[in-house]
Amino acid sequence: MRGLFAVVMLDLKRLWVDRVRLVSSLIQPLLYLFVLGSGLGASSTLGGKGYLHYIYPGVLGLSLLFSAVFAAMLIVFDRQIGFLKAVLVAPVSRFAIALGKILSGALQALVPATVLLVLLPLLGLDLSLPAFVELVGAMLLAAITFSALGVATAARFRSTTVFPIISNAVLLPMFFLSGALYPLDRAPIWLRLLAHADPVAYAVDLMRGAVLGRTVYPPLLSIAVLVGFIVVLTWLATRVFAAGEDT
Amino acid sequence: MSDSAASPALETRGLHKRYGAVHALRGIDLSVRRGEMFALLGPNGAGKTTLFSILATLLRPSEGEARVLGFDSARERVQVRQRIGIVFQEPALEGKLSVRDNLYLMGLFYGLSSRAARARAIELLRTLGLEEVAGREAQKLSGGQKRRVELARALVATPELLFLDEATLGLDVDARRQFWAEVRRYVGTGGTVFLTTHYMDEAEPADRIALIDHGRIIALGSPQELKARVGGGILLLATDDDAQAATWLREHGHHPEVSERGVLLVEPEPATVLPALLASLPVRTRRAEVHEPSLEDVFLKLTGRALEGSPAGPAPRAAGGRP
Repeated sequence: MRGLFAVVMLDLKRLWVDRVRLVSSLIQPLLYLFVLGSGLGASSTLGGKGYLHYIYPGVLGLSLLFSAVFAAMLIVFDRQIGFLKAVLVAPVSRFAIALGKILSGALQALVPATVLLVLLPLLGLDLSLPAFVELVGAMLLAAITFSALGVATAARFRSTTVFPIISNAVLLPMFFLSGALYPLDRAPIWLRLLAHADPVAYAVDLMRGAVLGRTVYPPLLSIAVLVGFIVVLTWLATRVFAAGEDT
Repeated sequence: MSDSAASPALETRGLHKRYGAVHALRGIDLSVRRGEMFALLGPNGAGKTTLFSILATLLRPSEGEARVLGFDSARERVQVRQRIGIVFQEPALEGKLSVRDNLYLMGLFYGLSSRAARARAIELLRTLGLEEVAGREAQKLSGGQKRRVELARALVATPELLFLDEATLGLDVDARRQFWAEVRRYVGTGGTVFLTTHYMDEAEPADRIALIDHGRIIALGSPQELKARVGGGILLLATDDDAQAATWLREHGHHPEVSERGVLLVEPEPATVLPALLASLPVRTRRAEVHEPSLEDVFLKLTGRALEGSPAGPAPRAAGGRP
């Protein structure tokens, strides 16, 4: 437990003193929301509560995904400069390191997501208390999943040159496939099939369920899939940390 | 506990490490006593860092066994990790955090409670004379201060064994002296030190030194023993053509080694043979030097290569295209 606390404390203290990262993580979600909302919204024909309301969960997903994975990518940087070694030689279980990194990444990703949450009333979205709790729960689950994805990936890499590759070849496709910007149930069949393998799709769908009251997947299925991803990815990350410098 | 307390601080048997086709360690057998300051000296690429990483629980050996304070460094990693402190070659401080916070966080990593970790940080800062920089960001310290904070970081958990990997690389003389004074103080309290370096003056204060080259220990002993191995005093000649001088010397029954410093000879009485050599050498001698053997000389004598800088090897001019 102390090991887990140490890992999380280290990362949160580092975020706190890194003012550039902290401030940009507060501004980034606003950018996503207004650029995507007004830009794409103008050409959208979706009815109901309007396109902005429709993509709000998608923007939450985008913000959580990129923040969590980029927080995890700092592991690669730490490995490159040698800082990670100091953590790996500490008498902390490798599971605690993996879980600690995942939880701290999730917490870091929730900072910008909270800004979006605070904006809810401004967007004219009135959520009932149960719906709001549902949304927060879905966000937590999404943050942990994306962070686990980031940590399990980042733990393997030795050079920061992989950042743009991960971003372009993994994150963007995952995001675009997820149905964050358009309704999956109107998408072509091949896209819908691919989305089944995309954790972002389940996470966004779950959050959208809380906001709009309708989902593509049964909520319980989404929860089960996300929990499954978390368990497997945490196990993978633990294995990589246990290998130390052997790879 | 009694079992581990009676064991050597470090013990390796038949240690091998292969990375694919690269055979980094080729059978390392070492034993380091408790309370000893032990240096592993060798050129870059000799296998120092690999051995260091195995002992520090970061790598598994391909073959053989390494025991640290009585525990297997591959199978009983937690027990080893609880008892060792490490100063890495690379920085292990978070530059934006204060010195105090860096030490506090490390305390948490070593299982101290939040309060105990704070108290330990303050105590270490006082012992190491770092109180005045306690609140400063680690990145704003001088090189020497940073290294002493790294040392404090390694000492957070009161380790029985301290590992130092090229610990004073790039420090000025003053900072080095201060750093080693702290290390000696740690040894004075009964601690064991295992250090790796490719600078002979860093290895010099050690009780015993192991010379490592191409993944093998090629010599082991106290600095005096190693120097005695050379079997005499050192005669160093810098000539107009070292290769030609070496050839002539070989033809006349000597065993010269050529390094970038010049032609090196080991003689029981170097000062006595010098005048005759100067008179009969076919090339002009620019400088002649007689000194007691250094660790550098030991390494050169054992491997035919210089410890620091470029390997001596055969002079390219002599080997190259003569018409």
